[in-house]
Amino acid sequence: MHATASSIHSLPHQAETVTGARLVVEALEREGVRHVFGYPGGAIMPVYDALPGSSLTHILVRHEQAAALAADAYGRLTGKPGVCLATSGPGATNLVTGIANAFLDSVPMVAITGQVAAPLIGTDAFQEVDIFGITLPIVKHSYLIRNTEDIPAVFAEAFALAQSGRPGPVLIDLPKDVGQRRVQVESNFQPPVMPGHAPPDAKAIARANRLIREARRPVLYFGGGVAIARAERELAAFAERTGMPSVATLKGLGGVPTDAADFLGMLGMHGTRAANTAIDGCDLLVCVGARFDDRATGKLDTFAPGAKVVHVDGDPAEIGKLRRADVGLAGDLCAILDRLNAVPADIADWRALCAGQKAEWQARYDAPGTGIYAPALLKQLSEQAGDDLIITCDVGQHQMWVAQHCRFTRPQAHLTSAGLGTMGYGIPAGIGALLAEPGSTVLTVTGDGSIMMNIHELATIRRYRLPLKILLLDNSALGMVRQWQELFFDGNFSEVDLYDNPDFADVARAFGIEAFTIDRRAEVPAAIERLLGTEGPIFCHARIDPRENVWPLVPPNSSNMNMMESKP
Amino acid sequence: MMTERLVVDFAPMEGAVLRMLGLVERRGFRVSGIGMTERPCGKQASLELDVVARDAGRRIEVLGLQLRRLHGVSDVTHAPPCVRERAA
Repeated sequence: MHATASSIHSLPHQAETVTGARLVVEALEREGVRHVFGYPGGAIMPVYDALPGSSLTHILVRHEQAAALAADAYGRLTGKPGVCLATSGPGATNLVTGIANAFLDSVPMVAITGQVAAPLIGTDAFQEVDIFGITLPIVKHSYLIRNTEDIPAVFAEAFALAQSGRPGPVLIDLPKDVGQRRVQVESNFQPPVMPGHAPPDAKAIARANRLIREARRPVLYFGGGVAIARAERELAAFAERTGMPSVATLKGLGGVPTDAADFLGMLGMHGTRAANTAIDGCDLLVCVGARFDDRATGKLDTFAPGAKVVHVDGDPAEIGKLRRADVGLAGDLCAILDRLNAVPADIADWRALCAGQKAEWQARYDAPGTGIYAPALLKQLSEQAGDDLIITCDVGQHQMWVAQHCRFTRPQAHLTSAGLGTMGYGIPAGIGALLAEPGSTVLTVTGDGSIMMNIHELATIRRYRLPLKILLLDNSALGMVRQWQELFFDGNFSEVDLYDNPDFADVARAFGIEAFTIDRRAEVPAAIERLLGTEGPIFCHARIDPRENVWPLVPPNSSNMNMMESKP
Repeated sequence: MMTERLVVDFAPMEGAVLRMLGLVERRGFRVSGIGMTERPCGKQASLELDVVARDAGRRIEVLGLQLRRLHGVSDVTHAPPCVRERAA
């Protein structure tokens, strides 16, 4: 192991003898960890043996993937690493999707896995798997601890790494014997200090300010980096100061309140026509904490074709990765945004044009029929819940409807699996959110495909009496795949029909959770009242039209200007 | 595609070389040559990597930044082709 901090030494004087597992627990306590999401098993048993009596609250999930996904949501909300714990072998591999989810969305996480005893490593022992190797591409860093004495330094470094710079997951693999061995440790441990951001480049700031001053059709394009840097206040001030129309990525939503006058909506594949059109016509793109992801840009060489680019990001490796920046500014977003103090000379006409397009192309909620129209339900629910609401999403059509139709006043209020697109994220994320912010109202919006990925976590909700509100939008299909098969595979529907779903309300009730079903539009107002008014966990199963699609849609590998509003 | 050389200074902790090679390949480059020297102290090492982009969209400068952000990597330098030819 290599640590920036000084290692722990065996010092007979002023030292005590403890197990490695005790050192693990003490390290977590020293980091201020309050909740650990996990599932016990053979190789991690020494750590579980050390948990009772500690200040840590362990949340027993029913599948390790849920531990990692709950820790992910916990990390997004607190800004501190969420912690998940699993045994070796299948316990460790079950964490992998959650670790990858955190990696793709730059979420601070520390994942602790048990490992077979060190002498057995490499012998194909029972429940042995090289989780260090398996996770190499999806972690910010990883450790296999070989010496019990290294535990305090490794944990301190892991926590510092996970939350510094561009956050991400860090894996700590702990062989069983390392956790069992007793060692003498020094009591005056010094935690490591990670290097901070360099101050903003003054010349680059000046160049960026000049571009902003000279712009006639600027657009502010922001993403998840704003939430990571906790730069919402600075972003909102920049947007207000410059008057720039703004657009957000999926993860950026809430960086500027979604009901702000100059906010044009999400851009990209399921973005608004107003957002994509503004990007297409802009002469300056100020990109803050976003990475020109393909879902946002569409065909990259058609994205903002006439724009100069100022790219602001916490990670220097993102500057110029996909789109050349005329000015790149890597560092602390708050400090950089504060110093981008130029104001465009005259963009009144541009703002008016963008505002007019926004008004002209705003979403409609007057769908024909008497069935439940999901976008309208979500809009009503979000508006009635108010600013206190945190929405955790699963993945699919409902995820896009949430992004399009719910209001967000802070990015942390919208927890969604953006990079990895993990079906099954919603309920574990709801669990993590409720434990991270117990005073908040937390709503999980899920689909009938996604919910089955982690439906067992209803047991965790019940066990800990977590007041999670769950809205299941059930179209008896893998709706997004069905939509793509309809539009891009000549209607050749292949393995998307979920006609044999269980009665979800019955399932929820079997787990001990209050549940009800609606299938008519007239039932929506009462359902919203019941969802928001119930103090404990509550499950609303809403049957919706299986043929409903998400619009607009930019076909894959196409310019964002080729938006489809309906089936051709 | 042209062969480029990167020189990476790093702490040779467990998994470091595998992590770097994996990153290079995953980010769209082929490794065509490799050499490593470890300093006598055992706490610093240098990895010379000859890499070839798999398509025109891959930039060596971006790969260098991606390697640079790995924990334990202290420096990444891109050796210009002329320097490498002289060295050869």
